[in-house]
Amino acid sequence: MPSITLEIRNRSGLHARPAALFVQTAMRFEADVTLANMDRDRRKSSSARSLLGVLGLGVSRGHRIRIEANGTDADEALASLRAMVESGLGEPVVGEAES
Amino acid sequence: MNRVLHGLGAAPGVAMAPPWIYQPPPSRGGDRLKLDQASRLAAQELEALARRLRDAGRIEEAGILDAQALIAADPELLQAAARAVAAGNRDSEAILAAGDEQASVLEALDDELIAARAADVRDVAARIARLVRGETPPSLERRSIAVAVDLPPSVTAELDSQLLVGIALEAGSPTSHAAILSRALGIPAIFGVTGLLEESARASLLAIDGEAGTVAIDPDAADRERLDAAITARRAAEAEDAKLIDAPLCTRDGHRVMLSANIGEPWQAAPAAAAGAEGIGLFRTEFMFMGRSSAPSVAAQQAAYAEALTPFAGRPVVIRLLDVGGDKDLPYLALAPEPNPFLGVRAIRLAEKHRPLLVDQLRAVVAAAGSSHNVHVMAPMVGDRADVEVLRELVFEAGGADADLKVGIMVELPAAVVLADQLAEAADFVSIGTNDLTQYLLAADRTNPALARSQDPMHPAVLRSIRSVIAAAHARGIPAAVCGEMAGDPDGAIALTGLGIDELSMDPRSFGRVKRALARVTRDEAALIAERACNAASAAEARAVVAQPGQLAEVAP
Repeated sequence: MPSITLEIRNRSGLHARPAALFVQTAMRFEADVTLANMDRDRRKSSSARSLLGVLGLGVSRGHRIRIEANGTDADEALASLRAMVESGLGEPVVGEAES
Repeated sequence: MNRVLHGLGAAPGVAMAPPWIYQPPPSRGGDRLKLDQASRLAAQELEALARRLRDAGRIEEAGILDAQALIAADPELLQAAARAVAAGNRDSEAILAAGDEQASVLEALDDELIAARAADVRDVAARIARLVRGETPPSLERRSIAVAVDLPPSVTAELDSQLLVGIALEAGSPTSHAAILSRALGIPAIFGVTGLLEESARASLLAIDGEAGTVAIDPDAADRERLDAAITARRAAEAEDAKLIDAPLCTRDGHRVMLSANIGEPWQAAPAAAAGAEGIGLFRTEFMFMGRSSAPSVAAQQAAYAEALTPFAGRPVVIRLLDVGGDKDLPYLALAPEPNPFLGVRAIRLAEKHRPLLVDQLRAVVAAAGSSHNVHVMAPMVGDRADVEVLRELVFEAGGADADLKVGIMVELPAAVVLADQLAEAADFVSIGTNDLTQYLLAADRTNPALARSQDPMHPAVLRSIRSVIAAAHARGIPAAVCGEMAGDPDGAIALTGLGIDELSMDPRSFGRVKRALARVTRDEAALIAERACNAASAAEARAVVAQPGQLAEVAP
């Protein structure tokens, strides 16, 4: 099953609006997407379609998340989520100049 | 006036209208709609509300409702509800129980940014339960002041913003949805009003004053007239101030003084910038630490500081280290009660016993500052150079050495005035806190109304102290600011400019009147006024000097 591991670098982590954006992105695809927080409890995973599940992983800035996708458009889903996370999920990415 | 209740002013302004009382619907009556249908309907309602708010420019609230729409259709929530149904609950009870369960999961995470979403989960569950029971959403029928214990977002979002003229709550907090709504609409709000619902139930008219924090029940004809006049006068003053937003703070002959804002919560930064602030001269940080059972996490603090920094990117923002102890107690610090709190273990004096608390705060500041070079930190209650060294050690421990933070002090102790030359040597900037300085210098309790005459910062002893602090700062090539109420007082602003102050930091609501006041004098006139005020017999006489600059010719040297 294709998977990627990404570091969360936007200012407030997978909280509220960033998490909602993440879930909305995952919902655009057929593939079943799950994620786990590698820096908290890596055995606990959540469907990326559940905002409550994603919030419940407690992902803060600096945490790494592992995303798995299963389905016909799994690769596209992962590419899309990667781009979303790397762009900061609607927030400035800490470590780069903020203005 | 028949009866006046008191609370905390949460948003300024005056409004008069009949009360509209919101009470959460009681849970009785049969279920009309299936849970899955109600959940879909709730998600659709929330999406539509979010769109409407976004179109109206209410972006912050729209974001909350987008997240709520996702929660309404969330598989985890619906599975939890299905479990509760299987256990024998009615659908409407099951969804409420599921909301509670899921909210508790978030609250248990020990991450307050996430825990704050628990209220949204419960609110969504209440909306679904309402749909299941077939109840109609709340709505206003005429211009009204909303009255409630608290207003959840599902209610604030539904209310017609054209008809809502004010909010008064028995509970409520500055970070609540009701607070966000009142700011977005620019309507007055008052929170923490005890006995409000009971009094309002019988009232046909309420008058609320967001600055005074008062709710008048059934005001009589004379009061109504007075309030109408106040509303008209306020609108006129706002229109005058609006014309000056882009004008700099300067004397008639063009001598500039930096104009900064005092804020007590991060959301106030954006409106301060819009009102023409050149920076934040005082960001009080107590708001995050009060009214809770443990200290806020570094991440939560960082997010709050970052919110205040964003609208002022590149411009100076002064974050004041936590100023608690004494009269402002934090239960989780277990501070010993003190007979004389204003002379007690406050502010930087907490560094001895509660070092991690202050280091964590500075860590959050350093993280929020990121690569910005204009973030300043400032310690209150500094009394000698050793205190400045403590502050620098704390900043170093928090990793601030690489972050290029400017480190400054508040001058509010007489000791700091006496040692101003030493302190100016050790600090990067000084900011004079005229409220406490006046209290300590004149040995007059700020809260004792019998001492009013000794609580005026225009007292010559205070003016002379400020003069010597400014001189000491300038001799070391560092800037001097005033961040007390004196800065926003027209007389005070003129006197301070005459004394050579570099920056005045105040509540943005004072910007207009201070700009108008300073534009009436030249720099030389202000200097003469300040000189005479320093030689006055009392604060009252010093004020008379400012009020009658016509007499200046007589005192010209």
